[in-house]
Parts: sequence; C-alpha cells; structure tokens
Amino acid sequence: MNSSNPLIIFLASIFTHNIALVYILGMCPFIVISKNFKSAVGMGMAIMFVVTLTAMINWAVYWLLLVPLHAEIITYLIFIIVIAATVQLLEMIIERFFPPLQSSFGIFLPLITVNCIVLAVSLFMVLRDYSFVQIVTFSAGTSAGWALAIILVSAIKEKLSLISDIPSGLRGPGITMIIIGIIALAFMGFAGIVSL
Amino acid sequence: MKSALKILAFCLSMGTVSGALLVGINAWTSVRINKYEEMQLKSSVLDALEIPYAENNVIDVFKANVNVIEKDKRTIYKGKDDAVAFEFKGSGVWGEIYGIISLNPDLVTIRNVKIIHQEETPGLGSRIADKEYLNLFKDKLIFPELVFVPAGKAKEDNEVDIITGATYSSKALEKILNRSISDFMELMKQ
Amino acid sequence: MAEGKDIKQSNWFKVLTMGMWADHPTFCMVLGICSALAITNRMDNALAMSAGVTFCLVFSSLFVSLLRNVIPARVRMLAYMTIIATLVICTDRFLKAFFPPISKAMGPYVGLIITNCIIMGRAEAFAIKNKTWLSVLDAFGCGVGYSFILILMALVREPMGFGTLLGQRIMPQTWSNWVIFTIAPGAFFLLGVYIWILRTLAKKTE
Repeated sequence: MNSSNPLIIFLASIFTHNIALVYILGMCPFIVISKNFKSAVGMGMAIMFVVTLTAMINWAVYWLLLVPLHAEIITYLIFIIVIAATVQLLEMIIERFFPPLQSSFGIFLPLITVNCIVLAVSLFMVLRDYSFVQIVTFSAGTSAGWALAIILVSAIKEKLSLISDIPSGLRGPGITMIIIGIIALAFMGFAGIVSL
Repeated sequence: MKSALKILAFCLSMGTVSGALLVGINAWTSVRINKYEEMQLKSSVLDALEIPYAENNVIDVFKANVNVIEKDKRTIYKGKDDAVAFEFKGSGVWGEIYGIISLNPDLVTIRNVKIIHQEETPGLGSRIADKEYLNLFKDKLIFPELVFVPAGKAKEDNEVDIITGATYSSKALEKILNRSISDFMELMKQ
Repeated sequence: MAEGKDIKQSNWFKVLTMGMWADHPTFCMVLGICSALAITNRMDNALAMSAGVTFCLVFSSLFVSLLRNVIPARVRMLAYMTIIATLVICTDRFLKAFFPPISKAMGPYVGLIITNCIIMGRAEAFAIKNKTWLSVLDAFGCGVGYSFILILMALVREPMGFGTLLGQRIMPQTWSNWVIFTIAPGAFFLLGVYIWILRTLAKKTE
C-alpha cells in the first residue's frame, strides 16, 4: 500500500509532478485546443470530469476483478475498454439529457478517449498501488494540473497573438512549444513545496 | 437495432480475440520470464555480496555461498562473510524501482547497491542504475539515514549526490532505500 | 497496360514519401509530440524509440487495413486502441522472454508507444480507408519521418546536454553541459525552433 498522504498527492500532481509539464504526457491536444481560451477551459473541465470518473471505475475493476482473477496481463486492454465505454456513455447521456452542455462539453469527449493522460492515470494507479482515496485525489489533481497547464498556455497565446507579430513559421505549434517550455521552467520553481 | 447488434458482436469478438492472444502469449512466455527474473535476482545478490561467478553457474554459486533467511515474509541473503543483502522496492517517478542493497558485516556501512529494475526517464533518472552512480554508495554510512544532497556537495559519510536534472528519481531512490533499511533494522531487532 | 503500371508505381512512391516530408506527422499534423520530447535526450533512446514506433506503426496499420471492412464506424477508436495495445504488449512479452536485453532497453517506451498519437492518427487517416499494401507503405513512411525528427532532436540534445553522442564523448573537455537540454523545457524550446525552421523551409519549397 502506498503511504503518501492523499492531500500531498493532490498538491504534488498539480504543481511539482504536473503531468503535462513534468511528465510530458497528453501533449497532442495542447496544440489544437489551446488556440482559444474558452475551448481550453471547456476541455480542461471535461478532462477533469472524465479522468476522475474513469480512474475510480478502473480502480474498482482492477482491484475487485482483475487481481482476484490473476488476470493482470489484460489490464491495458480492460482499461482502454472501460475508458472508451465511459466516454461513449457520457456522450449519449449529454445528448439525451443535457443538450445545452453539448457545445461546451460534449464536443471534447471524442478527443478525450485518445488522450494519453486518461490511460496514464489508471496505469500509474496500478504502478503506485494507490488506495481508493488516493486515486480520487491523484486523478483529480492530475487532471486539474493538466487543465491548469492548457489554460495558462492558451491565455498566453491569445494575448501574444494580439500584441506581437509572430513570424509565420512560428505561428501555431512553434510558439506553443516555446510557451509551454517557459511555463515548464517556471513550474520547476515549485519543486520542494511538497515532498512526495 | 441491427447496427447496434453488429457493434456489440464486433466488440465482443475483438475483445475475446485480443484477450485470448494476451493470455496465450502470457502463458507461453511466463516460464522463460520467471526463470530469467530468478537469474537476475540471484546474480544481483551475488554481485551485491561481491561473490564471483560465471554466466552459466549462477544458480550453483548462489546455492553454495548464500544463506537465504526468511523472516516475517521478508527475505535476507547472508554471505559466508556475514555480509547481508536484502531487496528494496518502491515507486519511482515513472514505475517501480527494484534492487538489492548489501551491507558490510558491521551492518552500518553499505557494500553495494544494485538496481534490477527501473523505468525512470531514459538518460536522466535511469542513471540511478549506472555503475558510476551506484559506486558512490560504497562504504556510506546508513545511520541515522541516507541523505541525498545536491551533486558535488556530499561531505558526510551518510551523504550521497543527487543526479543533476533527475531530482525526483534520486529522491525516490533515497526514500525507498531508507525505508527498506529501517524495515531491515526492525527485523534485526526481533 | 504499361500506362496502368506506371500510375501504380508513382502512386506507391508518393504514398511512401508523403509521410517523410509533405505530410510529416510531427510538423504538419503535430502528432506524437509526447515521445519526441520525453526520450530524445539521448541518441540511443531516440533510435530505440524510432525502431519501436516504426515497427508498431507498420503492423498496426497492416491489421487495421486488413480489418477495414469489418470495423463498424462507431467503434473505430476503440478498435485502433485495442489492436495497438494488444500488438505492443504481445511484442513486449515476446521480447522479455526471448531477447531480455532489448526488452530492458525498451521497457519504459512500451507504455509511450501505446499512447503515441501517430499510430492512431495514421490508422484513422489512412489505414481504415486504403488497401493493405499502401497502408503499410504509408505507415513505414511516417515511421521514417518520425525517426528523422527524433534523431534531429537527439543530435542537439545529447551533445549539448551531456557532451556525448551515442555514449562517446565528442565535446571538448572545457564544455560545460547545458543541463536544460536534458530536461523537459529544453526539449520544448528545441522542438519549437525546429518546427519554425522546417515549416519555413517547407513553405519555401512548396
């Protein structure tokens, strides 16, 4: 059993062990989604919801189903199926019961299935032997950290495109990379505020 | 309705085929993999205790020279010269760090640290498994506990350098080593 | 008859080379960033990852293309992920059992390869709608293109960050390591600059 304090895990996964800026996972949507502040916020919220939910379900599936049956070899497979199924279910629920959420939440869902961090959170949970409380804070913190990173980058990008003349070759992915690099450097300053 | 059934049928068959493939490959390869892991463990223990051996007689040399003591679900390996070795295991930055640490017969200084398995960032955190880095642990004092300090600043007998750029992996190793050492001390007291 | 053969020949060549420049996964479609940044701090890691990704790209595109008429549209993504995950895990177990040293070197990458967006991106963009042979060529082309960027990155990061290349010291003794290139931020900066240079060049050559 992992002995870390859940609250420490939560803070660490946002600041000192940020999954986008330290582990460099979940980068692909950064380039596309961070064009627009509003969509970055929407994506961030959607990711937080999906990651936390699927992490909790995967924890239950792993510890109550796979381990007792000694079926750990198909862990990856089962996690992927659970994630895809959860997202599909969410899509259908939003379409049927919450149409107003469709434009601010629903359109991001297909992108989330293929986002590295959803699977990564579930895999880290297995690797680090987290308990249920720990996985709730870990998944919430990790997704919050990712959301924070993408919101920061998109805000800076929007401001930057308004006030400066970015060379044509650098527009889009190029300047996004450099902005992320600067923010990653900045976040390194958080090292040591919590000890994980 | 028909398309929903088709989707379900596809998912089920895909799931079954993949599952079967994985379970099959697992069964086919586990014997070899377990044997390899046993060899890894035994040769690491021999390395840690500084007992010479050749590639093809690891198991025999191990049987002849190492005393395996099982206490409280933990295993201690004792060499003929009373040096001890035991496993350390824990989570690093990316995956599990697993290895063997051996203490000199005085039970306060380190003889060797060997890493069997780690999944840290290649080129950075993974350097905790490099021979040059692990040599830094030789003859270090484990009391009151191992302390990892910024690279180049290690002065006291219980201080070891952190790898520049791999602070978290180094700190994880520090935590894992100290924890396994204190577990071992608890066992010894009984 | 000769004309038909000519058209076919130029077709496959076009498909093969598209992945290497015009349709490059990383510059043009910005895929596969995660691994381009994480493991290019050393050349040997970059080479190993290139080999791994190219291998998985080719075989997963092969299988997706073979099954393209069977996979229902709604569960495409799930199908890709399942095929890729099964392929990668089986390969990893096989390597662990029969070639342990290679498996040990590739250990951390296994997870990264499964989630590599390029493999899924190519499956979705090409393999699901095209013939098997063309899909394999496209996958191989993208793999080569991807390896190209990994090697380019490692070519700068390893010498400047560690002073070595493939383990051999190549910088003079007086060189002090630019540690920033060994960690995440340096990778981001370098990739940004590369994208800038190569996008400008590509626009110029278009």
